[in-house]
Amino acid sequence: MTFRLAVAATAGLLVFLAAGARAEQGARPSVTPVQTPVVRSLHVQGNVWMINAGSVNVAAQIGDQGVLLVDTGTEAAADAILAEVRRLAGDKPIRYIVNTHAHRDHTGGNVKIAAAGKSVISGNFAAQAGAGAANAAKILAHEQTQILMLASGPLGVAEAGRPTDTFFVEKDAFYFNDEAVELLHQPEAHTSGDIMVYFRKSDVIAAGDVYINTTFPVIDREHGGSYAGILAALNRIIDITVPRDKEEGGTYVIPGHGRLADEADVVDYRDMATIVRDRVRDAIGRKMSLEQMKAARLVRDYEGRFGASQGTWTTDAFIEAAYRSLSPARPAAGAR
Amino acid sequence: MPHIVRVFLFVTLVWGAAATPAVAQVDFSGVWAPIMHEDSVERAAGPDIGDFLGLPINDAARQRAETWDASLLTLPEHQCKPHPSTYGFRGVGNLRIWNDADPESGQIVTIHTHIQWMEQKREIFMDGRPRPPDFAAHTWQGFSLGHWEGPVLVVETDHLKAGWMRRNGLALSDRAHMTERFIRHGDLLTHVYIIEDPVYLTEPLIKTNGFRLTTQVGNPPYPCKEVVEVPRDAGEVPHYLPGQNPYVTEFAEKHKLPVEATRGGAETALPEFGRKIRK
Amino acid sequence: MKVHDIAGPFGRVLAAALIVAAMVPAVLAQGGRGGGPGPQAAQSAQASAPIDLTGYWVSIVNEDWRWRMVTPPKGDVASVPLNGEGRKVADSWDPATDGSCLAYGAAALMRVPTRLHITWENETTLRIDTDAGTQTRRLLFTATAPPAAKSLQGLSRAEWERVASRGAARGSAPGGGNLKVVTTNLTGGWLRKNGVPYSDQATVIEYFDRFPAPGNSEWLVVTTAVTDPKYLTQEFVTSTHFRREPDGSKWDPTGCRP
Repeated sequence: MTFRLAVAATAGLLVFLAAGARAEQGARPSVTPVQTPVVRSLHVQGNVWMINAGSVNVAAQIGDQGVLLVDTGTEAAADAILAEVRRLAGDKPIRYIVNTHAHRDHTGGNVKIAAAGKSVISGNFAAQAGAGAANAAKILAHEQTQILMLASGPLGVAEAGRPTDTFFVEKDAFYFNDEAVELLHQPEAHTSGDIMVYFRKSDVIAAGDVYINTTFPVIDREHGGSYAGILAALNRIIDITVPRDKEEGGTYVIPGHGRLADEADVVDYRDMATIVRDRVRDAIGRKMSLEQMKAARLVRDYEGRFGASQGTWTTDAFIEAAYRSLSPARPAAGAR
Repeated sequence: MPHIVRVFLFVTLVWGAAATPAVAQVDFSGVWAPIMHEDSVERAAGPDIGDFLGLPINDAARQRAETWDASLLTLPEHQCKPHPSTYGFRGVGNLRIWNDADPESGQIVTIHTHIQWMEQKREIFMDGRPRPPDFAAHTWQGFSLGHWEGPVLVVETDHLKAGWMRRNGLALSDRAHMTERFIRHGDLLTHVYIIEDPVYLTEPLIKTNGFRLTTQVGNPPYPCKEVVEVPRDAGEVPHYLPGQNPYVTEFAEKHKLPVEATRGGAETALPEFGRKIRK
Repeated sequence: MKVHDIAGPFGRVLAAALIVAAMVPAVLAQGGRGGGPGPQAAQSAQASAPIDLTGYWVSIVNEDWRWRMVTPPKGDVASVPLNGEGRKVADSWDPATDGSCLAYGAAALMRVPTRLHITWENETTLRIDTDAGTQTRRLLFTATAPPAAKSLQGLSRAEWERVASRGAARGSAPGGGNLKVVTTNLTGGWLRKNGVPYSDQATVIEYFDRFPAPGNSEWLVVTTAVTDPKYLTQEFVTSTHFRREPDGSKWDPTGCRP
């Protein structure tokens, strides 16, 4: 694998994602503050590049038919991401944007980047799509993500940045740039509408935030996320990935946040998430309170790697989300 | 060309050649057999559960190891993992070393190492190339840059996958950094490695290994195909809950050692610790 | 292109001199096991030391802990390539003799958890004191050594193995190098505290290497190869590491039983 490193933008502003109101479950589990001064990329394999835009990753599939982007980063990084795409793809048009979920650090560039793209609009659907549709990239997402983006809350997106095509079943797929592209819906994971994008010929998965390797799993319960869904997603990734040899290489996984990974990295993270789930379940079974759980430092052995005492997704926030997500549902609460 | 200029050019050429680091480089090429006269029980048969003697681990490492279950290794996705370079040199397989040199300059560009078990193949780049970016993939062997300090090969490695410092659940994180020194004394190779890990170590961990040069030619392949060994529920990961591993003190009891010693920590490596527990 | 094509008669002389100069470091760098340290200048061993080994050093025992920090059980000879005769001796060890000075002989002393105090006793004698067992080794750089009776620490002949290149480690003189020590005239003793034997026929070859490490620490690694035709099937090779200490404030002499 070769990597190419480029600084596409050097100035920027520290952008905090919409903090949102603290829900009754605890801190809103969005993401850590996103800086946008530097956008860099590396070639993963096949048609796929990984664009690292501050703390967020964007995947780019580039071929003769144009460009497909998985997520668009923050609004503040949109220009730099566009510049990097141009550097990688030349004047090939951006045809598709796939949003893995609705958080603004992954959809913030939708409006600007979609407007820089082109769609092929023709046939019976031309009138339905509207006259201007050909002058923007299509935005694909799961229906649940579209619903969140339509809302007036912190995940709301201007119309020009909303999904143009959605699906509501387990999987959608199409052929682009000489390979099958699968959109795999993972219900109730990081949010209600997560999808992972699997480039079958390139053998790369863009996982969105169901797999990250910067923090403990981020469970946005306010927007439909659950601990069980995160684990299901991680195990699904492991089912898909095939290492080249000695549990290394082969299928690569681009996380929503963090460094490029392969199966062994996802396994390491899945093991941690499973072990922590079992500990929290056990503590719940022993009637420990949330505060007792935090004090017991159930995840002491992983704190140095995935924990945080500051920011929007602290260790305590994670424990609280895990506790609430794994506690037996109360009839009135209806919480996941 | 004026005579004096030609002389000057020639002197510069020869002097330049003399000043290159190559003059002190030592050739490590060959197949080296590990000398198992240290820690042979741990390195061959394997360490006991709960044996953390002398290692500068922190509480996080201790908790992780004390909840580790060896059954984890029966999961298909764990079966073909090779040793990371932070452990592989403690293993039992032969070590083969060879060089790639630039055909024009003759300078060594890459030193390759290959340890037999699970084909731990590694490249040590000697050309000072830039390191991959922080968001690049990590590998079992990591990204290694080498340089010479006299006849000693010094290697700095990062971009490592999460690995282990001992095969009983003592983990190293993917933030570990390793500094190695390859020191040759005739047909003996002393390999020194120093690991820093902000996640699991309180101070750098240093280990030394011995190898002896053999007359063997190469290392055979080591194929590995994972299989389902134990039927399990999907997503099951073997482990012990904190405080519920019944084997944690078994090692101390078997060898009549104080449990405080077997739980490790930097202080357990010092001579005064030995004196304290002997009293 | 031939030399005389470039430089003419003067150049030939100059070129020959420079080629020789260029080759010298490479030749010196080959100093290895069995190779001599090269011709010594008139300087004393102390003055010409390529590395500075003096000061206080402490064992960091994270290898063979169970066989070094405590007295292993009788018959536990793990890792030592004993032959049948050696095994028989080890199996006949009397635990009542634990603490004997026989465990502090030259073949084993660097492996004992200890602090070292290394000093120059004179310009040709490097002295190593240990607080564990309160032992003293004298490493002699002289070409000839006085005849000596066999002893626990034996007769140690030392030489610097030099390299003459740039890029030496911190604590090393330009070019760097290491210390090689060959010890004979041993009375025999124990490789481990539980009576694993070496005989009076043993020879010990050691290499002392010093280098810096992360955290501004300095390390000494002693690679030890013990040959003993009486009790060992092959060379017994260990490498033992010591961390430099700023002073002798933790020096704590403890005796052994003669």
